[in-house]
Amino acid sequence: MAVKRFDLSGLMQSKVTWAVIAEALILLVCFIIRPDFFSISYQPSTGMLYGSLIDIVNRSAEITIISMGMTLVIALGGTDLSVGALVAVAGAIALKFLRWDVLTYTTPGNYTVYPYILVIAVPLIVCALMGLFNGFLVAKGGIQPIIATLILMVCGRGVAQILTDGKQFTTGYSPFRVIGQGSFLCLPMPIIITIIVVVAVALFTRKTAFGAFVESVGVNPSASRLSGIKAGNVILLVFLITGLLSGIAGLIYSSRIMSNDSNNAGLNFEMDAILAVVIGGTNMAGGRFSLAGTVIGSLIIRTIVTFVYYFGIVAEATMAFKALIIAVVIVLQSEPVRKYFAKRAAMRRAGAKS
Amino acid sequence: MPGKNILEMRGITIEFPGVKALDGVDFSLREGEIHSLLGENGAGKSTLIKCINGVNRKDSGVILLDGKEINPSGPYDAMQLGISTVFQEVNLCPNLSVAENIFVGRQPMKHNQIDWKEINRRAEELMSRFHLDIDVTRPLSYYSTAIQQMTAIARAVDVQAKILILDEPTSSLDENEVQLLFSVMRELKASGMGIIFITHFLDQIYAVSDRMTILRNGHLVGTYDINELGKVELVTKMVGKDMDVIFSLKRAEVSPDAPIMLKAEHIGDSSRIDDISITLKKGELIGFAGLLGSGRTETAEMLFGASRAVHGEIFVDGQNVSIKTPFDAIKSEIAFCPEDRKRDGIIGDLSIRENIMLAVQSRKGFMHPMTRQEQTELADKYIKLLGIATPDCEKKAGELSGGNQQKVILARWMAASPKVLILDEPTRGIDIGAKAEIQRLMLEMCGEGVSVIFISSELDEIIRCSNRIIIMRDRAKVAEVDGESCTQQDILRIIAEGAA
Repeated sequence: MAVKRFDLSGLMQSKVTWAVIAEALILLVCFIIRPDFFSISYQPSTGMLYGSLIDIVNRSAEITIISMGMTLVIALGGTDLSVGALVAVAGAIALKFLRWDVLTYTTPGNYTVYPYILVIAVPLIVCALMGLFNGFLVAKGGIQPIIATLILMVCGRGVAQILTDGKQFTTGYSPFRVIGQGSFLCLPMPIIITIIVVVAVALFTRKTAFGAFVESVGVNPSASRLSGIKAGNVILLVFLITGLLSGIAGLIYSSRIMSNDSNNAGLNFEMDAILAVVIGGTNMAGGRFSLAGTVIGSLIIRTIVTFVYYFGIVAEATMAFKALIIAVVIVLQSEPVRKYFAKRAAMRRAGAKS
Repeated sequence: MPGKNILEMRGITIEFPGVKALDGVDFSLREGEIHSLLGENGAGKSTLIKCINGVNRKDSGVILLDGKEINPSGPYDAMQLGISTVFQEVNLCPNLSVAENIFVGRQPMKHNQIDWKEINRRAEELMSRFHLDIDVTRPLSYYSTAIQQMTAIARAVDVQAKILILDEPTSSLDENEVQLLFSVMRELKASGMGIIFITHFLDQIYAVSDRMTILRNGHLVGTYDINELGKVELVTKMVGKDMDVIFSLKRAEVSPDAPIMLKAEHIGDSSRIDDISITLKKGELIGFAGLLGSGRTETAEMLFGASRAVHGEIFVDGQNVSIKTPFDAIKSEIAFCPEDRKRDGIIGDLSIRENIMLAVQSRKGFMHPMTRQEQTELADKYIKLLGIATPDCEKKAGELSGGNQQKVILARWMAASPKVLILDEPTRGIDIGAKAEIQRLMLEMCGEGVSVIFISSELDEIIRCSNRIIIMRDRAKVAEVDGESCTQQDILRIIAEGAA
């Protein structure tokens, strides 16, 4: 076997490399301005670790989880716009089961009206079915994913409103609080859930041939079908997974606020998830995908937001600032820039050799 | 009386990282001449063309147009200089009308508005120059590939071109359409245009061109008048080997008592194929002959489940099987290399390894994955067996040449060890060396007991390889002839007259 030489030029061409560099640069700036940005402390009273870095990972949980599914959807050459609405649906259903008859149970407290298992399972099942509905429109109806998922994007929040009579319920049920605010092994629970989801999706796509099938269908659906891949089933499964993951994100979100918010829960999550995937190096045209890249993409987005809060940049400028940094990251990742650096790396290597 | 040179290229050298794509090549084109550019895939034809139209920058050498040195910076610049290129894949907008396609980007204006009347009138005029009486306001996608090709040519020549480059314009045309194209080429030639013509079909070169230039591995072999060089010598020069060696093929031997491997009885889908029956013995190779659109591909697609048969029965190895999807066919050990390699065959962005393992893996289902090592071993085995030119199995399949891509698809199906292999135009658009290799592989598989259905538009290769030949016409089987005893004339006569 030939020893694989370290290929700097290839590394420079990879979008994931640039995502890592971008994240490192943003963190470096944070460090220069506030050296204590990196400090992590242990709080014995809650048994949890605290610090900006922990916070970034914790707060990025919803987007990271959703974007695992979004990565697969984009690898198929599509997009799923409904994920944000599904977050709202999941929250609404969970709160509905916790506080079923608000007229009887007028004050929120540490109780649940229906068994806790239903509070967790029903939102996940409903979201998975909604994902399946998206997949059905795409796979069997031949509708473009962006259009097919637009339906639930628009009506999902409506469904959430109807379920909760347009009201915002709150709860104090402590097992429910654990999902978004609890901790395990000193880490916030959302981080633990994120790790489980990322590992599960990675194993499912890379330890089976599912990932290869997704990429194959994403590159060339017709050839994939003629190679015996049941393209329709692959599409159905990918949208189902994305729906399910949106449901998980929805539970985390509503557990953080211990409430449902049909208007604002998961708002613009679809955009952040798409952005995370794209920053992570997966091409919108479909094909090769990188889950690791997506995780970094999601962290970048959250780091920027944290950066803005942390350094007291005026709230009005937050969006503009976020856009500015993302623009820089995207330009760094663009084909000409990557080629330029890859060429320089190749030249330097050639120079070193001679 | 040869015209004067309009284009002269001297000592053209182009280097890509690690390889010299062209090494000191000279080339000239005369006024009113059709000049064929020949060579195997990777010989440097495309590189030379791309040098003329400015896509590739030359590292040394000069290009003279009408005696003046030019350095086109890109296809648009080249077009301004009078050099137009029509690429293999038609680069037009199928949703726009024929007229719009011809004039897009340079619409004639009247009172600051696009003059649609003028556009349509001039488009009609151009197309009638090609003896095409069509409605130019219809969208391009409404018309056949041939007409689309003509539209591309019309677009190219309307920019007052002195030089027209045609890169494999005939690869997706049938015989009549090719003749139509040729008459247009002769017309343009008569008007003094110089045409550079690239094709893999040797007959076409002799039918239409005046001179030919042969390249091999980036070097110039020579430029010859068309009557100076016979077909055999030409191939020898292109490949650098003797043709007899390349084509020393032996038909598959089928013993009379060989079992029947595939039997299709009265299959049809009423809209495309009415009713067709086929039997295929173990280790036998049958050829499907017929014109484009005669139902060859449609029959193959039905056997493979790519389109669904509404009636009839299919037996594989004596078992009655129901084939509704390609997956069903693969389960029944039928394999199918489709006609359109790019659209239906190769998965360009994935590696060779993934392309090869795909059919095996899809039969297993994704829950039973092959390990990375199994995949690599499988891919390496076929890369070696088929002589696929690649440094390793991780190269993107889309970056391979046409012939190698075809071998990858062939490997995908060989790896699935099918009982029946259907090959739809497996040798189209690939060079003569690779073509001979594909044919050899096909026959070797027959020797190992695989039954092969071979579809091709080139009668000589059908006759050379087939045990039996099924002749299709108007979406029906019109005759079945013995491969050994029939001649090209017999088949042509049956195709023309519709009966044996």
